Amino acid sequence: MADGFKNCTKLDKASWKPASEAEAKAKALGYEVRRSKVEGSCYEVYGVKEGKLYELFYSPEDLSLKHTIAK
Amino acid sequence: MVLLIEQAPDARGAPDRTPAERTVPRTIAVWDLPLRLWHWALAAGVLAAWFTPSVYDGLHRVLGYTVLGLLAFRLVWGFRGSRYSRFRMVGVRLRASPRYLWNLRRGISGRYIGLNPAGTLMLVALLVSLAVSTITGAMSVTVTFFGVWWVEDAHHYSSDAVIVLVVLHVAGVVLMGILQRENLIRAMITGRKRIRGHL
Ligand code: HEM
Repeated sequence: MADGFKNCTKLDKASWKPASEAEAKAKALGYEVRRSKVEGSCYEVYGVKEGKLYELFYSPEDLSLKHTIAK
Repeated sequence: MVLLIEQAPDARGAPDRTPAERTVPRTIAVWDLPLRLWHWALAAGVLAAWFTPSVYDGLHRVLGYTVLGLLAFRLVWGFRGSRYSRFRMVGVRLRASPRYLWNLRRGISGRYIGLNPAGTLMLVALLVSLAVSTITGAMSVTVTFFGVWWVEDAHHYSSDAVIVLVVLHVAGVVLMGILQRENLIRAMITGRKRIRGHL
């Protein structure tokens, strides 16, 4: 359900940063984090902010925010 | 069989037909127009929704709400529709369905005008799985249930179940059509089925 957003990094999975760090970045931005999962080569973080639903896509390589979808 | 006797066959505006003409298969109105429109709208909506998630999120959601609305209509039509749209026989047919399916192995399919027991089982299975699929889908975009794992899982499993059931449904309709030498798909378009002289 990610509007097809799947490509964040070419880095090998073994060298990815942990998903918990992506969640922490979303929390720092003020999102209430519901969960995260791997979507393609991205961490997809489910966040709620001010009653709105978001899917945030982080690169597991450098934890940069690649894409945000407002549901 | 008893059902057939109660039903007046369609005279097709020809009260003075010759005996030869009378042996020509006659037809009877089975599926009312709202039920037919409902069926094909549901089929189009469900199949389109199956191919749209992740790619066209917005469209997928609109289709989901549409299917939910269609399900609500079917519940109403189960009580307000014409004879073969009503749920009156669902309980009886459901109880008969295990035995009916068992007898099918020998090609015994009986003669029903509306849904036979296997068709009734499919109706209920589809309505239930579609209800679970659409309701959990709608839930997954509410603040309360967004990102809740069991809602997502339930949505995925029930949607997969819907598609498996649809494949079985179409196969069943085709097989039953061959077994009974009747084009059931055309009947779901015209609303009419044959009524054979010897029955
Ligand atoms: C997503 C796809 C579909 C769904 C959800 C669906 C659902 C249903 C349901 C619930 C019924 C029972 C009618 C009632 O409410 O009493 C039904 C009947 C029927 N469907 Fe479908 N259907 C689908 C696709 C199709 C397709 C593709 C075909 C034809 C190729 C088809 C042919 C029929 C026929 C012929 C009947 C009547 C069966 C009989 O004469 O006993 N359906 N369908």
